[in-house]
Amino acid sequence: MNKIKKVFRRLQPARLNPPVAAYRIVQLTILVSLFWKWRFFLEANDIYANIPVEDPFFPDWLRSVTTIRLAFWGSALATGIGLITSSKLLRKTSSWLGLMGISLMCIHQGSYNDMTFVTIWWCCLWSVWLAHRMETDQQDVLMRRAAFLSRLIISLILLGGAAGKWTPEYWSGEVLFDIYFVDRDFWVFNYLRENYEPEELREIAKWYSRQVVIVETVSGIGLWMLPSRWAALIATIILSGIVLLSNKYLVSVIACLVGLACAGFFVPRHPRKADTPAPSKPENPVAG
Amino acid sequence: MVDSTDTSITHDEQQRDLGFCCIVAFIGMIAVWLLLMPWIPGIAKHSLQRFHLRTPSFSVWAAQFPIPSMYNFANRYKVEQYPPDFVMMILDENWRYANHFPARVITFFAGRYDFLSSKQDRWFTLKSSYRGQILESKFHLEPLEEGGYRLIRIDEVDQTHE
Repeated sequence: MNKIKKVFRRLQPARLNPPVAAYRIVQLTILVSLFWKWRFFLEANDIYANIPVEDPFFPDWLRSVTTIRLAFWGSALATGIGLITSSKLLRKTSSWLGLMGISLMCIHQGSYNDMTFVTIWWCCLWSVWLAHRMETDQQDVLMRRAAFLSRLIISLILLGGAAGKWTPEYWSGEVLFDIYFVDRDFWVFNYLRENYEPEELREIAKWYSRQVVIVETVSGIGLWMLPSRWAALIATIILSGIVLLSNKYLVSVIACLVGLACAGFFVPRHPRKADTPAPSKPENPVAG
Repeated sequence: MVDSTDTSITHDEQQRDLGFCCIVAFIGMIAVWLLLMPWIPGIAKHSLQRFHLRTPSFSVWAAQFPIPSMYNFANRYKVEQYPPDFVMMILDENWRYANHFPARVITFFAGRYDFLSSKQDRWFTLKSSYRGQILESKFHLEPLEEGGYRLIRIDEVDQTHE
């Protein structure tokens, strides 16, 4: 009878461990963000080796092509390990290594300006925190906190975009007209150029730019206050909209944030009773 | 819309979590910095200098990397084959906008390839503006015999208020 019970238990569908699942989705989307930059890495690898720029502002090692190679591959490898490992120690270690590698990318002469590495860095910080908390016996509370932190980070990133646009050049549409409407090869702008006169395009650019400023401002200030699932859904829609209406290169900036937003979907629908802490669940590598 | 069970900083049943509180406080500090930027010219000036790689110290510049700044400020750049005071003035029609960190046209892979493959001198002018505050920087990229370029900052201070 015991044997039958054991076999039956093995055959039960694998139970999802929400924090592990959320953690792995974020690692996966970090990898999508990193490898969306594959062309950047290949070309940068060649260009930085052949055309070094001596600038005393940066320390030598933060201008070196070797540093950027190690940081990029180190982060990718660490994130990949974090994605597949079931070892708690390895997960923590790889999260820290990923954070360190991406930190280097954020201050290296050849990559500091790329917002991809800033959004990945915030996802890595979230990952480090979560990797150190997974052993808790209060999985629901942990998941609520993880979701809260995720929408706080997304709000901050959107607020960062908004605050720098509270200037007349964005309200008039002048900046985005030059960046996108003049010659950007992307379906929205190709369509608009084919169908509207230059003066009409300026007017469209003005309203396009105002829409960007308003959406970023409202979501930057308010997204973190929404309930988890609503915040996750709205963040996913807004972030996807930014890519669909701007340019494909933003996939690298946005993909990891979409993964981070998904943490909200793992929050239990109903708050657990305060006096019944959930027992610690053994991690299931198949389910997670 | 705020759900106190979701925004669980004060959730009854939670254990103390210093890491969580530190990250929330860190985010709060950056949010305050961003929200004050339009009203405190010093913050905007600091951020404009960050964009032009003109922060007085590299450490201070590097410490700001977590501050998100996607498509911030009106950043224009101009690339010329002759010094800015060359007699044959080139009209200002060469100005283009850059989304953020306009010095990227010198350092980032695509700009570096486009403008610095020729192994000839190049002069870059960057101009960023935010709510009437303008920062202009000029850089001379001098080719080196052994390959690559040396970046020389032509002007150190050129900050005006419109």
